[in-house]
Formats: sequence, structure tokens, C-alpha cells
Amino acid sequence: MPDLQDIVDGALAAARDGESVEAYAEESRRTEIDARKGEVEGLTSAESRGLGVRVIAEGRLGFAYVADPSAEEVREAVARARENAEVATEDEFNALPDARPWEPIDGLFFEEQASMPADDKVALALELERVAVSTDPRVTKVESCSFGDAIGRVAIGSTAGVAAEYRRTGCWCVVGTLAEQDGDTQTGFSFQVAHRVADLDPDAVAREAVDRAARMLGAVKPPTKRVPILFDAFAASSFLGVLAGGISAEAVQKGRSLFAELVGEQVGAEVFTLVDDGRLREGPAASPFDDEGVPTGRTELITSGVLNGFLHNTYTARRGGATSTGNASRAGYRSTPGVGTSNFYVEPGTEPFERLLEAAEGGVLIQDVSGVHSGANPISGEFSVGATGLRIGGGSLGEPVREMTIASTIPEMLRSIRAVGSDLRFLSSVGSPSILIGEMTIAGV
Amino acid sequence: MRPHAASEVHTVETTSAASIARVIDRDLVKEVIGAARARGGAFSELFVEDRFGVSVRLDDGRIEEVTTGTDRGAGVRVGQGTSFGYAYSNRLDRDSLLEAAAAAAASVTEEGPGDVVDLRHLDPPVVHPAVRDAASATSAEKVAWVRQADEAARAFAPEVRQVTALYGDSVQRILIAASDGRWVEEVRPRVRLIVSVVAARDGNIQTGFHGPAGLAGLEFVDANPPAETALVAARRAITMLDARPAPAGEMAVVLAPGMGGVLFHEAVGHPLEADIVDKEASVYRGRVGERLASEILNGVDDATVPNAWGSFSFDDEGAPAQRTELFEAGVLQGLLYDRLRAEKDGVASSGNGRRQSYAHAPIPRMSNTYILNGTATPEELVSSTPRGVFVTALAGGQTNPATGDFVFGCAEAYLIEDGATTAPVRGANLIGRAIEVMSHVDGIAQDFDIWPGVCGKDGQSVPVGSGSPTLRISKITVGGTGA
Repeated sequence: MPDLQDIVDGALAAARDGESVEAYAEESRRTEIDARKGEVEGLTSAESRGLGVRVIAEGRLGFAYVADPSAEEVREAVARARENAEVATEDEFNALPDARPWEPIDGLFFEEQASMPADDKVALALELERVAVSTDPRVTKVESCSFGDAIGRVAIGSTAGVAAEYRRTGCWCVVGTLAEQDGDTQTGFSFQVAHRVADLDPDAVAREAVDRAARMLGAVKPPTKRVPILFDAFAASSFLGVLAGGISAEAVQKGRSLFAELVGEQVGAEVFTLVDDGRLREGPAASPFDDEGVPTGRTELITSGVLNGFLHNTYTARRGGATSTGNASRAGYRSTPGVGTSNFYVEPGTEPFERLLEAAEGGVLIQDVSGVHSGANPISGEFSVGATGLRIGGGSLGEPVREMTIASTIPEMLRSIRAVGSDLRFLSSVGSPSILIGEMTIAGV
Repeated sequence: MRPHAASEVHTVETTSAASIARVIDRDLVKEVIGAARARGGAFSELFVEDRFGVSVRLDDGRIEEVTTGTDRGAGVRVGQGTSFGYAYSNRLDRDSLLEAAAAAAASVTEEGPGDVVDLRHLDPPVVHPAVRDAASATSAEKVAWVRQADEAARAFAPEVRQVTALYGDSVQRILIAASDGRWVEEVRPRVRLIVSVVAARDGNIQTGFHGPAGLAGLEFVDANPPAETALVAARRAITMLDARPAPAGEMAVVLAPGMGGVLFHEAVGHPLEADIVDKEASVYRGRVGERLASEILNGVDDATVPNAWGSFSFDDEGAPAQRTELFEAGVLQGLLYDRLRAEKDGVASSGNGRRQSYAHAPIPRMSNTYILNGTATPEELVSSTPRGVFVTALAGGQTNPATGDFVFGCAEAYLIEDGATTAPVRGANLIGRAIEVMSHVDGIAQDFDIWPGVCGKDGQSVPVGSGSPTLRISKITVGGTGA
């Protein structure tokens, strides 16, 4: 079995004079255990590897990928990428990045995680489910309950001199619960991710999923009204995906960003700072270099409400006369590097969640939004989403409410932020603290 | 991989010269299935896949990316009750496959080895052949198609600012063999063209989208010319430039052909998937035989529709494709089953066990989910509506199967005032609960049409079709920003 580095070397050796060739090779091992009714419902173990090849000749780009290639298939992939380049449009900004020195990040890979015994993983998943169904008498079932882990390795090499390799471990707990009472059913969800199991708190994940379902029991459809809105960390994170589209230089250059002409301007409230940081060790997306081998770093996209700039890969940086921010991003070896976020989050403020609750008197805590992807227009920033949550009164949570919609625009919402909590949470690689919005309309009956 | 004699391959009759049987030999298949049952379990199964695809992306007037990809791999599954062990690898050599078999087998409670019945080739109940193989066109021809789309969209109106056109074809070859003796092969050709258009006027930016797709060869492109697809997307974006904010509140909604199917898929189809029902997370659990939709509503899931995007000959567990009645006159008829859940409930699989690829264990999924024709005309459904919204394109949606709560965004919609469609509206979404909304369907026309899509569930994406005639929902909550 050829090593990742052999695959990369094999591809580079197939390069012809005058063309640039880049090889991106990755391999991963993954295990996931689903638990239900005290038993392992599913156990999945996976092994995969593959190669993606970019060839640039005379400004034209071609791409090919192949799963688990033999030496001959590596050469074939280079040949196919070359053929594809011939029919692509010439573009002076197509280029591979020059080699730049990168610093490894400590604490991304843990041997203890890579060698965690299968029995321990099963025990953890079963315990996660046991806590989820035995904490509250109204919550006796899980919709989903799993523990998983992954070990990944990436090697990138190019004729421009890039030679980079790193490995990373990751693990996660996911719990979705069902609460039932008097014929009413509600769902709750919680999630945690870390680079090793010692940094997870499965008990807390299970209890949170239980609480989030149970407190929604008896939810009613509220009357339409304009009230203060407090998004909790999960709900706030859901909106960040829409922002992520807008702060990509690719979207800006193609006329698809609502922020295109706004660099240097106040686009949000002063309490709002938005960051992308590929070197944030705790973040699940942490890596020393991006998916074309450019070193990652911290980029403040919005500082105290003022838009600073956008995320770049090598292509958008050349086209926009900027420097790559180390945000080349691929969905694995099967795709070319676009522009994407790494660990993308709202900088936490100083106010604890309880203070935000007090400040949101008479309002609603939103704990779940649905339809963000279909209900939000990433270009115009208009959105209309479904939401569930709880009324806020006297500094604490009251009656649950459901089947309501919230509609506004992203710019208007960013400007209306009154406070940002200190409780930053990552929902996968996107994170946010709780965020208090001045007032928004909730549409119910 | 071990070298194999030609005779071993031909022991099993194959349906195509390009069959996947050439990448793996029959004795090895039997050995792997046997190894997977070493500790017991109700059955073991091997899924082998080989997929070749070409895609071309045009963006910003440029052919940005031409991609060729080869993917292959195998997954071994052992089932025991509704539990399973699944292991996959993209290495197809003997050692890797036996290692995967051992990993899958490790999940079952030890009960002694199970047997493997002699493998027998099953004939498909229906085939969806490609008339013109995707490999018969050059990359240059495929590049020309996306260019035609770009030119047509830009010529439609000066407000068109950006056009993205994505062409993709793939051929997926699969082999499924299981300890009960089934040996199934299928070749699935797929073609899709997606055009999305951005239009702008006075700082107002809107988008339009259209994406026809089929389980077919290049004859699908001939039948669905790229320029026509582009015009649909462009018209949608331009129309929405004139849109005013959608009204909010409860009102009647008329859904254009295909759109009722999209809603039916999300809000009703998912809660009818047997895994969700088994998890007691479905509003339809234990309710087969009850009237849970309007009595004029008939709905099916049908994987046998010739060359439809969501069709197949066999599902990804080797069960033959079939048509399953879901609602008859509003009465719930049954669920969508895969093998694990069917065996638990003591029924036959409905042929809905699907997976995205070898890297995924199969779960119950829809194929083509349709609301069938009724008796009304589309004109009368609108003309008898004093006030409401006419939705011609949905943008996608989300459902909570446990509660039936759903939300859908509208990509193109119009006001209905005094029985006539008037101004376009934007920012509208539809929110409601499945049983209630399906019970409020009070008119179904006869102009059935389909809408291909990609459905995501448990991290797996599979091609699905949705379909319906024009239909009216008498009362549903519209979330909008206008008065």
C-alpha cells in the first residue's frame, strides 16, 4: 500500500514542462456508534483515501480525482486533469501558491484518541444514551444518540514547491431527545466536539439535550408581536452560515455578496466582532495550513461592527490584489479548493447569559431556527425562518412557544445587536455566544 | 485484488458489458459474506460500487472547472434485529475486504456462524437504460452546453448579472450480494444540468434557479435543452426583482405543479420512513388505516417511473424497485421500508433501502414521491381563491418528523387577489404541521409535473423526485415581512 507521500510524489513526477501540478492526498479512519434502548444500534467503521490533482497550463485549470489509486491510476489522474484543462477558460489568476513556511499546531493529534479501544467507544455511547433517557421522566427516548471519532491525514505537494503534511484526531457526541407529555411531543438537541475524548463532557451533552426538549413541552403558537429576541448560542450559530457566504472573496468577486461594497463601513453594532481562525487549537477545523498548503491564521472580518475585508484563497487573492488568508477549502479529495471558513465565530462579549436574559425582559429566547438555508437569501440578506423558543419574564424562562416565524434582513439584524454573551459554543466549526437583538417581529397567529 | 479466471465472472449472468462484476470475483464475494457471518447475525451483505463522473462548471462567463472523477469501494454489513455493523473501505483487495467483514461482524452478539446460500442472479423488474452513453460526448461538447445556458440567460434581460451553469453526468455500477443468496447488479446513468441566475436592479438583488435531472443518458440533454433551462432560471430571477414583501398570516396557498410534491416529500414522506417510525419519532406512528389527509388526496412512492431521477431497478439492498401506495383517498396505507425495519415488522421491504455510496449503510429513503392527479383545473383553484399566495417554486424546506412541524421557503410566488394572480412576492415561507396541512388540501388539478432534487438525511444525499399537479391548501401560515 503506497504511502500518502508516495501518491503525492507519483503525481508530481508525472508533471510535464511548463505546467503546474498540485497533488492533494488524504486518508481517514472513522468510527461511529449509535446507541438506542441500551444497545448498539449501529456501528460503522470506515477507511478511505484518495487523491485530487490540479493541473494548470497556460492559465487553464483542470481537475481529476481518484479513490485509493494505484501508481498507474495516479498517472492517469494527472493525464485526465491535463485533458480537462484544455477545454477550460484561460484565466490569468489561476496559479498554485508558492511554498510558505508553516508552523505545526500542538494538540491537534492525540495518540490516545487514535488508539482508543472499540469497547470504550461502545461503552461511552451506551452511557450517553442511558443518561439521556433516565434524567427526566418525560424524556424516555432518543431520536439519535451517537459517539464518533476520526483520524485524518492530509499531504499536499506541488511543482511550486509546496510540501506539507499534518494529521488530526477528532471526536464528538450528538444527542437528539424526544420529550412527551399529554399527547405533546417535543425534540431537543445537543452536540460537542473535541480533538480527544478527555475534552468531551458526554454527561453534559445528554443533560442539555434532555432539558432542551422537556422545557418545550406544552408550547403554544404566540400572537404576532414585536419583541426583544435573544438567540442562544445554537440558534445564533445557524445564522453564521449565511454570513460565511457573504464574507468570502469568491462571493464578492462574483457579485454574490451583500457586503461587496462595504469594506471600512459600519455593518453591525459595536459589540459585534466576527473572526475566522484556522489556528484556534480548540476549534474542530484547526489545521496548520489550508487545503492548498497556505499557512492558516486569525482573520478579523468584522471588528466592533466595522467590515475589514474578506476571506481569500490563492485565486481570489491574485484576482483581488490581496494576500491569501489561508482559507482555501475543499470538501475532501473529490473537489477543488474554493474559499471557505475554518473556525468561524462571533467573538464572545463579557455579559453572562443570565444578564442577557434580564435585558431581554418581555422578549423570547430562540433556541432553534429552521429553514435558514432555504429561508435566507445570502445575496440580499433577506430571511424568514421558523423558530421555537421560550418567553422571557423577570429574568427567567417562561412559557414555550412554537410554530412562529422571524423575518428580517441580515444587515438590519447585525445593526440591531444590543449585547453579545460570554458563552461561546462551537456548533461544528461555526461558533457563537448568545446574542441579544433589540426588537424583531415574531409572526404567529 | 486476486487475479481471477474469466469463467468465474461469467458464472453470473451480467446485464452489461460494463458490469461491475469484472472488478471483483465471485468466490471472493462469497468468502467475504461468509466471514461477515462468522459470529452470527440475521444476514450479511456486500455492496460494491464503482462510479465515474464528469462535471463542468461555468461561472462568471468562464469555464471554471472541468472535473473527472473515479470512485470505488465496498461496504460490508451484518444485520441483527434493527442493529447493524457496517464497515467500508475503498480498497477492494482480499485482505481489506476480509478486514471490513471482521469489523462489521464484531458488532453482533456472538451466536455461532451463519450460513451463506448459493448466490443467484436476480433479474430487475424494470430497467432505466441510457440511450446515449455519457462517455459518447467529448468534454468540449459538454462545455458547449453550459455556454449555451450562459448565453441564453444573459440574453434574456439586461438585469442578469451572474450566471452559474453546472453540468454533471455519472455512471454508478453496483453489485449487491447477501447471505440469503441475492446477487444483484445495476448500472445507473445520471445526468443533470443546474442553472442559477442572479439579477439586480437599483440595489435589489434576486436569484432564480432551475435544475432538470434524469436517470438517463445524454438523450436527456436533447430533451431538456440547456438554453431552455437557463430561460426558466432567468425569468424567475427577473420576476422576483419586481416582488414586494410577502404578506404574513394564515391564508390559502395554491402550489404550482411539482411543488405540492416537494411539500409532500418533506412533511409527509420523511415521517413515513420506517426508521423514523421505529424510533417513535414520527407523527404517523401506529396510524396506518386512519384518514390523515384530505379525502381527495392520493399519494405514492414509485421507483419504477422510467428514467426518473429518483428511480432505480433495485434499491441499495438488492430489493426490486416498486410502487408503494402511501395515501388512498386520504387514508394512510403504509410505510417506506428498508430490510432491517421490514424484518422487524414482519413485512416485505418496500424497496426503499438506499445509500449515498459504499461509504454509507442503507436507510429507508424515498424514490419518486408523488401526489396523483385530481379532478379540478388549475384555473378554478386560483379563481375561487379571494386572497392567498400562488407558489410556483419552493426553495427547499425542513421538517421535524416527530412533531410534523415544517418550514418552506418560496423561491417564486405571487399574490392571489380576488381570484387572480397579481404581483410577485418575496421572502415568503410556508409554516405548518403535516397532518393539519394535508387535511386542508381542498382542490387537486390534473396537470401533474415532477421536480428533481437531492434529499439529505443522516448525512447522506440521494437523488429523489417529487411530483404533483396544481393543488390548493385552504389554510396555512405564510411568514412574510409585508402587511
